[in-house]
Amino acid sequence: MGIRPIFSALLRNSAGAILVALQIAITLAIVVNAVYLTKQRVTLVGRPSGIDDQNIFSLPLEGFEKDFDFVAMVRADMALLRQMPGVIDAAPISQVPLSGSGSSSGYYSLPDKKGKDSPANIFRTDEHGANTLGVKLSAGKDLDASTVEWKEKEEQGQPPVAVVSQGFAEALFPGEKNLVGKDFYDDQSKPIRIVGVIDHMHGSWVGWDKVDRVMLVPRVSEFTRYIVRTKPGELDRVMKDTEIALRKRDPNRYVGKLRKMSDDKQRSYAGDMRVAFTLTVVTSLVLIFSSLGIFGLATFNVNNRTRQIGTRRAVGARKLDIVQYFLAENWIVTTAGVLVGCGLALAAGYWLSTQYQLPRLDLYYLVGGVLGLWAVGQLAAWQPALRAAKVSPAMATRNT
Amino acid sequence: MFPYYLRLALASFRRNPGLTALMVFAIALGISVCMITLTSYRAAAHNPAGEHGKVLFAASIDSWDPENAYEDYDKTLAPTLLTYRDAKALYESNIPDRKLMMYKGGGILSRADKGMDPEYVTTRMTTTEFFPMFDVPFLFGGPWDAKADLGPDPVMILSKETNQKAFGGENSVGRTLRWHEREFRVIGVLDDWTPAPKYFDVSNGSFNDNEGAYVPVAWGPILELGSHGNTNCWKTEVIDNFQAFLNSECIWLADWFEIRSADKQRAFREFLDNYVLEQKKHGRFPRPLNNYLYDVDGWLKRNKVLSDDNKAMLLLAFAFLAVCLVNTVGLLLAKFLNAAPAAGVRRALGASRSDIFWQHLTESGLVALAGGILGGLLGWSGVWALRAWYARFLDAPLKFMPFDGMNFVIVVAIAVLAGIAAGLYPAWRIGRAAPASYLKVQ
Repeated sequence: MGIRPIFSALLRNSAGAILVALQIAITLAIVVNAVYLTKQRVTLVGRPSGIDDQNIFSLPLEGFEKDFDFVAMVRADMALLRQMPGVIDAAPISQVPLSGSGSSSGYYSLPDKKGKDSPANIFRTDEHGANTLGVKLSAGKDLDASTVEWKEKEEQGQPPVAVVSQGFAEALFPGEKNLVGKDFYDDQSKPIRIVGVIDHMHGSWVGWDKVDRVMLVPRVSEFTRYIVRTKPGELDRVMKDTEIALRKRDPNRYVGKLRKMSDDKQRSYAGDMRVAFTLTVVTSLVLIFSSLGIFGLATFNVNNRTRQIGTRRAVGARKLDIVQYFLAENWIVTTAGVLVGCGLALAAGYWLSTQYQLPRLDLYYLVGGVLGLWAVGQLAAWQPALRAAKVSPAMATRNT
Repeated sequence: MFPYYLRLALASFRRNPGLTALMVFAIALGISVCMITLTSYRAAAHNPAGEHGKVLFAASIDSWDPENAYEDYDKTLAPTLLTYRDAKALYESNIPDRKLMMYKGGGILSRADKGMDPEYVTTRMTTTEFFPMFDVPFLFGGPWDAKADLGPDPVMILSKETNQKAFGGENSVGRTLRWHEREFRVIGVLDDWTPAPKYFDVSNGSFNDNEGAYVPVAWGPILELGSHGNTNCWKTEVIDNFQAFLNSECIWLADWFEIRSADKQRAFREFLDNYVLEQKKHGRFPRPLNNYLYDVDGWLKRNKVLSDDNKAMLLLAFAFLAVCLVNTVGLLLAKFLNAAPAAGVRRALGASRSDIFWQHLTESGLVALAGGILGGLLGWSGVWALRAWYARFLDAPLKFMPFDGMNFVIVVAIAVLAGIAAGLYPAWRIGRAAPASYLKVQ
């Protein structure tokens, strides 16, 4: 059977077909762009931080009376925390990774601000820092206890040694194999020696494109926080115990709010998660409603043409011919919608790329969307088409 | 005729309950998604300063690095914070009607008589006109007098929440609190005051909580209290004491000015330019002359309080509503054409084309109204669910996901208008059909 009779039937009753095509066009534009954006956000949220972020909590601490012995407080607290049941390790740290607050500075591979340069997110901690964060060292060794500087007041510049992330080291010394023992320089040309390299670690700001450029330096000074890593499953219990134990050990200081690192992380990614979530929900709803719409109109078409179908059956059309007729009709309408939809999707994709400074919509997504909608269209028309095939040839002789 | 049309519409719903439910549901879902995105959009687009915000101005001058612009995406934009030197110099100007200088500090509050658990609170270090400029309501007492802006007067204003923690909510004016190892006298307690977005300082998040206490900014240098918000520096400088920090190119303060007349606004812009040109003579301000005076609206835009995400989500929501509506048009058309014989009979018995048209439009309007109300309720539950989700890790979900009765009205109105628009074509089409063709087959 030719395709021409389908066309002329469509043209005679074009309103319904145009509506379905329009719906498919908008659906394609929404779905293709939504899936593309969701993919970007999901990849961002799901990337590993390099830190054991599900088993760590943190808290701020401050002494608030005159002549408060800050160093003694940290040492005593650490001794207490590290022997608590369920605790793997604990450390003082200047800022909490993934939390959104932190500090960074620019560094150079050569003195006098020469060579390669890169910023690094700086964490001041002691020899337990790396182990508490649960980061993996790929070369060299951890900070040595003897190098840790204990200070009452914060001072400018950094200690002369550091454990750095691979991302930071590579930015300063691209292609260099032996990073351990190399010196890099701050803006006053003071050298800092790399003693160890962390294979991968995220810093404070997850939205920063250089989030993997991090350094741990051996210094503990005022305005510190504590981080504690627990055995899996013991986080909540240890948090309760810690709060009580710290207050009991010395009530004469301020113990801030305990925060799970997983909550910090979730908060940092909240915007991305909201976008991904909304997009996923809307995409699913759009697909459901489009298929319901196609289904509804196909059903209506079949009901409306019972006599016509009966007549065709009476003059010799097989059931298969009837099914084919309705599926072909649906395919033509879907294709028209998809063609318009490609234009809409590209336009929306272009607009979004200017809004988000994202790469332009990947054409694979468009191809996938077109194939998907063809399949959805055929599936939605399938049941009405089968019903049409069941119309008895005797219908041709009836009046309603 | 309207009551008759309503009866006909209800009868029609009873004939095809499934199809009717599908249409109502389609509109409801489209509307609920719109309502959820509209809620966060309108919260972020809100200007809490209202009319007053048109005469409030934040100053932004380009003291930044000659090598790197402050913003990557637009190199002519200036930093959103000021250095201490500049904040002080601009604050000295006599052109504005009111002015303030401020930053975010913090410290531990306690009571000498141990009447409260020591608590870390953020403090707004500011000058006295902060309170009238941002229309801050007082529960007890009032702002400090202008003298306290000049010298070290140990006075403090508490937020309602801090007063609750420190004094159980009673009138604490005249009581003292310990802060940075000194006694501060409480001279005022604020009433509930939660402008959202926190337009006067968005540097730590547009929906951040307000500070727990307010202290004259003159205490900053005395206590050597730096910013507990953001501090950004670009210049290689030796900063080995607090005075060096105050003299540095680091930015951490903000100035706001209330300037009511256009003439004074012009004069103040000139003052800004002249100030920067003067400073250039002393080797400062190495970048081009990028000076800005933002009113509250402009300030919210400059700081992208309404994010691109918000805009894209709203666009998506309305595209989704469009799909739902096209869907509804199709279903209405099918439904009306299915019932065409009945319309044919009515036409034959004397109903005019416009009678048939209005009858069917009433029916689609009813579907839309039902969809709109259901969608509003669904949207409300969606907002509620999202708030519950955010509340697990954010401090202020209530502020950027407010229950806003206006949103409900807006979306139901959109639904009804859209539903009627969706019904126009099908109703016209059915009204136009010739009655004879339907009568023939009966």
